[in-house]
Amino acid sequence: MKSVGNFSINKKNKNWPKILIGVVVFLFLIFILNIFVAPIKNGFHVLSLPIQKTFWTAGEPSSNFFGSLFNGVYLSNENEKLRQENQKLLSQVAALQSITQGNQAQSDVSTSCQNSGFKLVMAGVSGLDNDILSINKGSGDGVSEGMPVISQQGVLFGKILRVYKNYSDVMLISNINSVVNVKVQAASAEGFGEPSKEVDGVVKGSGGLTAYLDLIPVDAVINSGDVLVTSALDKSFPKDLLVAKITQIQKNDQKPFQQAQISLFSDVKIADNLFVITNYKQTK
Amino acid sequence: MWQKTVVIIFLFIIFALLQNSFFAHFSIFGATPNLVFILFFLLVFFAKKETNYQIIYLSVIAGILLDIFSYAYLGPSIVSLLIGGFLLKKAQSMLKSGRDSYPFTYYLPLFLIFFAIYEICFLGFNLGIIAEIIYNMVFASAFFYVYKRWIKYTA
Repeated sequence: MKSVGNFSINKKNKNWPKILIGVVVFLFLIFILNIFVAPIKNGFHVLSLPIQKTFWTAGEPSSNFFGSLFNGVYLSNENEKLRQENQKLLSQVAALQSITQGNQAQSDVSTSCQNSGFKLVMAGVSGLDNDILSINKGSGDGVSEGMPVISQQGVLFGKILRVYKNYSDVMLISNINSVVNVKVQAASAEGFGEPSKEVDGVVKGSGGLTAYLDLIPVDAVINSGDVLVTSALDKSFPKDLLVAKITQIQKNDQKPFQQAQISLFSDVKIADNLFVITNYKQTK
Repeated sequence: MWQKTVVIIFLFIIFALLQNSFFAHFSIFGATPNLVFILFFLLVFFAKKETNYQIIYLSVIAGILLDIFSYAYLGPSIVSLLIGGFLLKKAQSMLKSGRDSYPFTYYLPLFLIFFAIYEICFLGFNLGIIAEIIYNMVFASAFFYVYKRWIKYTA
């Protein structure tokens, strides 16, 4: 019995060098793979893009179909139309509010932003994973890291995270690593003509295509329905891009800042084409 | 044997493309099915003890595809699936205690544990993970019965 035990231990001892060598070889192969990570990822994406685009395109009507089982097809289409129309109107409100607040020069810049004053590159959406979107434009199309990505309604989706030759990854504002400086604009019509005190805050991604509003001073007055637009405090994004709408305020006297639940305007599921702003100057 | 490998690679690729494009439209509370992980888990779960070496190539294929879509580098998913795969076989050998059967009662709890650990390791803990686990559990359960039936017919 004892000898059997010894044999077993010896066998295990003999196996350890083999396992160790196997692990080292395996890690070395992964290291080698990472030398060619950009061409591997780019190559795979280029080859799979037609299938991926087909799946992506097929996903939207399929999703609508199943959604329609609960909501009705008409409501779904109508809702989509209203959403786009609403975003356009909110975009115009955002620009007009800047004008009423008196800074004509700054509002000219924001208006030019809203009216495609920036050089835009249109990109098709081909995939989504963990709040990272794949678009079919890469370094060959003038895209580079950090560039803002918006929709045609001027809704901010995120910024370019990684660039490959033929495609790029976009970090959505709902990504857990995303932080966007925003300002709160009152939704009420009364506040439209009167300049109100600007409230700055931060939209932080919480994953799962959701985000929340943070760092709003406790004494600041914000309401459900207020619209959040980019403030460009960190110069990562042009100002006055639509971000979200406040849905529920979470005020806690023990915390130095207010938080709020928000509903993002950027709906990835219906985004077929997005625009990369390629000539926005960023300061890091 | 090689035909089986080709079919598996093909399935992994199709599943990876589906989960990143088609199923992105079917997210519930931001959760989407991780078909590649489910297929990997299923294949490892049903792998016979003498074919444990398959875990290595399954980890490499599934891991590369997951990393291509998710991370800047190749490796995190490969290594985690490899470790997870061998731990799963170890857990199975402890649970099965010699019986050569694959009951659903073993499959589902093991899947939930391994998937939860995988998600927490890569995404950190948040409430969204609960939706992610429940959503993937539904797919994993369906895949289990499809696979068992498929094996019944191909065996």
